[in-house]
Amino acid sequence: MSKSFIKHFQWKDKLLALIVPLLLLILWQSAGPLQLVSELILTPPLTLFHTLADLVGSGELTDNIIVSLQRVVIGFLVGASSGFILGIVMGLSPFLKRTLLPLVKSVQQVPEYAWMPLLIILFSVGELPKIIFIAIGAFYPMVFNTFQGISGVPKNYHELANVYNYKNYRYLTKVIIPGALPSIFTGIRLSLGLSWMFVVGAELFGCDSGIGYMMIWGRQMFQIDLVMSGLVVIGAIGFVLNFILEIIEKRLFSWRRSFEGGIA
Amino acid sequence: MSIEKGTLEIKALSKSFIVDGNPLQILNNINIVFPAGAFISIVGSSGCGKTTLLRIMLGLETQYEGDALIDGEKIVGPGLNRGIVFQDHRLLPWLTVGENVAFGLEKLKRKEKKLIVDEHLKLVGLSGFVSAYPSQLSGGMAQRVAIARALASKPEILLMDEPLGALDALTRMYMQKELERIWLFEKISMIMVTHDVEEAIYLSDKVVIMSSRPGIIKKIIDVPLPRPRDRASSAFMQIKAEILKEFHLETEYPFAYAI
Ligand SMILES: Nc1ncnc2c1ncn2[C@@H]1O[C@H](COP(=O)(O)OP(=O)(O)OP(=O)(O)O)[C@@H](O)[C@H]1O
Ligand SMILES: [Mg+2]
Repeated sequence: MSKSFIKHFQWKDKLLALIVPLLLLILWQSAGPLQLVSELILTPPLTLFHTLADLVGSGELTDNIIVSLQRVVIGFLVGASSGFILGIVMGLSPFLKRTLLPLVKSVQQVPEYAWMPLLIILFSVGELPKIIFIAIGAFYPMVFNTFQGISGVPKNYHELANVYNYKNYRYLTKVIIPGALPSIFTGIRLSLGLSWMFVVGAELFGCDSGIGYMMIWGRQMFQIDLVMSGLVVIGAIGFVLNFILEIIEKRLFSWRRSFEGGIA
Repeated sequence: MSIEKGTLEIKALSKSFIVDGNPLQILNNINIVFPAGAFISIVGSSGCGKTTLLRIMLGLETQYEGDALIDGEKIVGPGLNRGIVFQDHRLLPWLTVGENVAFGLEKLKRKEKKLIVDEHLKLVGLSGFVSAYPSQLSGGMAQRVAIARALASKPEILLMDEPLGALDALTRMYMQKELERIWLFEKISMIMVTHDVEEAIYLSDKVVIMSSRPGIIKKIIDVPLPRPRDRASSAFMQIKAEILKEFHLETEYPFAYAI
């Protein structure tokens, strides 16, 4: 099979992936003129583009994005690192696994948004409840994936470490964590994705800054274009975050590439 | 009597595994001494307990009856005085070939490490592959890296579980020569499990023949031939016939086993 054929094929795939969004955009833009929906309710894409340009120009959008991203980063770091540590601890100690895993699993059954009223009662409306809210979201994928990764390190590798007298820190950093890393990284990706989703949620519950706040404000002022700009920006940033992590992942796990995988 | 370093001794050793709740005897009353500096091969049909015996000597299996001694002391676990080439090559996929070979050299300085790694990769004919990943190697190449890793940490006793099994005939003969050269040079004990009777005779001072269900030592055959050995010599052929005879007597269905 020739290289050019594969390239051609991928190119065609990309084109196919664009067709439906393009059709939707056209439909969206023509919804107003065709009198399907009022333009007051569904801002057409071109108008939206202008609104976005204005928002960027006035610095309002950037400021809100930065505030939201800050919350995401802090919430993610807190939630993911505690998930990481707990995942490692449970992965290493069967005793702690038996004691803690059922608890973590049952608490996980509480829907994320059900935490918010409690968090607001406990911590009022400052930054803290939002950060905790995001951290809770970031925690679960990290704890489960880390745990799974660690307990999935093959017995063979443990034996090898044992043969070469790897203990404690060296054992953890040279064998266990590298062995669990693919799974840990899946955890990081899901965790960051959820953090980004939950920041907007957190900001819907009373706030004076951030992308979520911008959207609430837009709704209250009946500025639908503002609400929709928020949606576009949230989607775009989520996409970029995921994209960056995918690139890092590819670099990090180049060792997984086998002869078969190396063709494309 | 003092025991020379590199001696392994198995005394009245029996080993069972629990299978479906019932003990299944794998090794039965094994008695054998692997003298310091000797090259000894173990042959026997698949499933007769060769790997299990190696794992006991390595210290990975510690539940058994009888004694397994290294230099006169009970084996309580793995130790850096014993090296192993596992039946599966067991390279860590996230480490490069060079890093894998250096796996047992953590305590050394960077420069010393590099020197030893280069030397051993050259030995197994893979000098150009220091920074390749195991996923980029063929099975035979991976096995050779595993041999390099085992040798790099300079064990007194090298245990090898079908170390050349995945090699093509020519590379295999080359590696046999290399193993012999290393063995003569380093004067370490080597214990090798193999399915290749010729390989066993070519390399070993003694060939241990095991038979299965439960695994026992059926016969130990001396190979008193001068080295390097000539595979076509009549003395060689005679020993080969003697060993093969043991296998054919073992079952009515000689084709049923893969040696
Ligand atoms: N951990 C274990 N639990 C239960 N049974 C085991 C275990 N390890 C090995 N066995 C059994 O012990 C027997 C001997 O296994 P072993 O791996 O030592 O054989 P072998 O001689 O090395 O075979 P081969 O030549 O195929 O590698 C086999 O029947 C195997 O099923
Ligand atoms: Mg075996």
